[in-house]
Amino acid sequence: MSSVRPKLKPAIPKVVTGWNTQTGRTVYLTAQEDWSEDIADAAVFTGDAADHALTFAEEDQTRVNDPYVTEVDENGQIAGREVLRETIRAKGPTIHPDLGKQAGNA
Amino acid sequence: MYRYDEFDQGFVRDRVAQFRDQVSRRLSGELDEAHFKPLRLQNGVYLQLHAYMLRVAIPYGQLSSVQLRTLADIADKYDKGYGHFTTRQNIQYNWIALKDIPDVLEQLATVEMHAIQTSGNCIRNVTSDQFAGAAADEIEDPRPWCEILRQWSMVHPEFAALPRKFKIAVTAAEHDRAAVRVHDIGLHMKKNAAGEIGFEVIVGGGLGRTPYIGVTIKDWVSQAELLDYLEAIMRVYNLHGRRDNKYKARIKILVNELTPEEFTRQVEAEYAAQRDHEKIALPQDEIDRIAAYFAPPAFETLPETSAAFEEAKAKDEAFAIWAEMNLQPHKVPGYTSVTISLKPLGIAPGDATSDQMRVMADIAKAYSFDDIRVTHIQNLVLAHVKLDDLYNVFLALDDAGLGAANVDHGSDLICCPGLDYCNLANARSIPVAMDIQNMLAPRDKELGKLHINISGCINACGHHHVGHIGILGVDKKGEEFYQITFGGRADEKATIGDIAGPGLKQEDVTPALARVVDRYMALRKSPDDAFIDVLEREGHDPFKEALYAAD
Ligand code: SF4
Repeated sequence: MSSVRPKLKPAIPKVVTGWNTQTGRTVYLTAQEDWSEDIADAAVFTGDAADHALTFAEEDQTRVNDPYVTEVDENGQIAGREVLRETIRAKGPTIHPDLGKQAGNA
Repeated sequence: MYRYDEFDQGFVRDRVAQFRDQVSRRLSGELDEAHFKPLRLQNGVYLQLHAYMLRVAIPYGQLSSVQLRTLADIADKYDKGYGHFTTRQNIQYNWIALKDIPDVLEQLATVEMHAIQTSGNCIRNVTSDQFAGAAADEIEDPRPWCEILRQWSMVHPEFAALPRKFKIAVTAAEHDRAAVRVHDIGLHMKKNAAGEIGFEVIVGGGLGRTPYIGVTIKDWVSQAELLDYLEAIMRVYNLHGRRDNKYKARIKILVNELTPEEFTRQVEAEYAAQRDHEKIALPQDEIDRIAAYFAPPAFETLPETSAAFEEAKAKDEAFAIWAEMNLQPHKVPGYTSVTISLKPLGIAPGDATSDQMRVMADIAKAYSFDDIRVTHIQNLVLAHVKLDDLYNVFLALDDAGLGAANVDHGSDLICCPGLDYCNLANARSIPVAMDIQNMLAPRDKELGKLHINISGCINACGHHHVGHIGILGVDKKGEEFYQITFGGRADEKATIGDIAGPGLKQEDVTPALARVVDRYMALRKSPDDAFIDVLEREGHDPFKEALYAAD
């Protein structure tokens, strides 16, 4: 099933991600409780703050679908077991450098 | 081809209006995702890695040029200028926005298309032989039966909430090109002792996590009895198929848990219990009425051979190779079926751009009685082309990057979208496929027929279990690995491949397969001694040894 992702320990830095309800584009929760298509804008959470952010996201139904948390390093770069999947979500298909966010035409 | 009557048209338009309302309620927040998801899935809308994905039904893979042109227009207006043809003979758009989908469905309805039966636990779009109605070796055109099954199964109230999705395939040629033995129900049309055409009924085939080859539960069912017999099967499944565990919910598990004998006994009991007034007992005039939609086009009387065709082959080697690889014998003298390979180098297998779709639509209109098919190998077919016209067809295709000569050969591989698009994937499949194609394409002619199938996860959309060489992407602690199987096949001798051994890293797959085909070349006795035949004769060991022989 979509978005059943691995459990992450509280101390691990995370971003909240999901899909824009209208367009389906990959989005990330920002510090202003807004959603951005650019992972560079994502707020990084740990501990309870991550749980709160996810709860906020889950209730933000008109703007986002199926939110979940995914691991990043201390600089907000995608990290952990799901690096490849999350990099592809963040950038676009690896076989189509002309498509997706990597091409600036998401 | 089948044309909508006013009921079909009204029904599809009503569904679009209904979905438009559901989408607007989702966007306003009136419906949350949990409630909306089953509704969108009933209309072919998935959520994938980058966006919503819309899967459009192409009943038994048949398209007219107007329909293909509309698919191209949708790709341009609402997507990114291309579409992906799937192993279910459908098309998928990868970048569709939810807010646009009602408009897309409305546009599809104008050309008698929709996205119903492409998702959910219902009887899905029925698939068939891509050469139906054209193949020299078929005993009858199976398409009327696909259409009858479509009409029977589409929104069938009793079978709208099955334990799991349900796939039916029909073929009418001895050589099975529709993989009927790996479907929930496979129907193989054949004659009984009296020479009447009916159906061998094969149940419980399927790929995925637990692959099974279907078992024949009835050697022959008459045309009049077919739907009633299928209802008996569906009832046994609907009643006893497991709903507690998604992974055990397909009919293949039920058939094997009960044993095929007990399953058959229950179906026969259910069938015998049907009372006369409950039976559909399909009347002959209804069969004839549907068959009339599939009447052969106005073929000309032509000689078996064509001087123009022979001349063109003699002067253009590329054309001669393409003609050797991509043509299928037609039942009418002077005609052939043409497979357009969607596996040129450097393109994701099964993808076509909107411009290419328009070119193929124009060619079909001019040269193929407006008849295009989608194959489960992810290619397109021009069903009826005159030998005299072949060279023009080839030149026009080649001009659009559609002249690849590789059908049924190594670089004509089946490949699912994998981790580049799919939300369920464990590993990428497209880059692996493209790398293998680069290695094999120059050797296709020398190597002969070879089926390589690749899936990005155990769901097996890329049919890896039934590839002569199967490749399954797995995730090992965040790294992509690829498990190789040997000896699978999807035809009338359907077999599930055997896992060769430990998985390979992505960069090791192509060199390992190069060693495997070299081993085949060393073992074969003549160019007609095909890969799968050598594998079956010599056993898997020499191939496994080659696979893992890296120094
Ligand atoms: S086989 Fe797996 S990865 Fe490939 S399309 Fe199917 S679900 Fe996705």
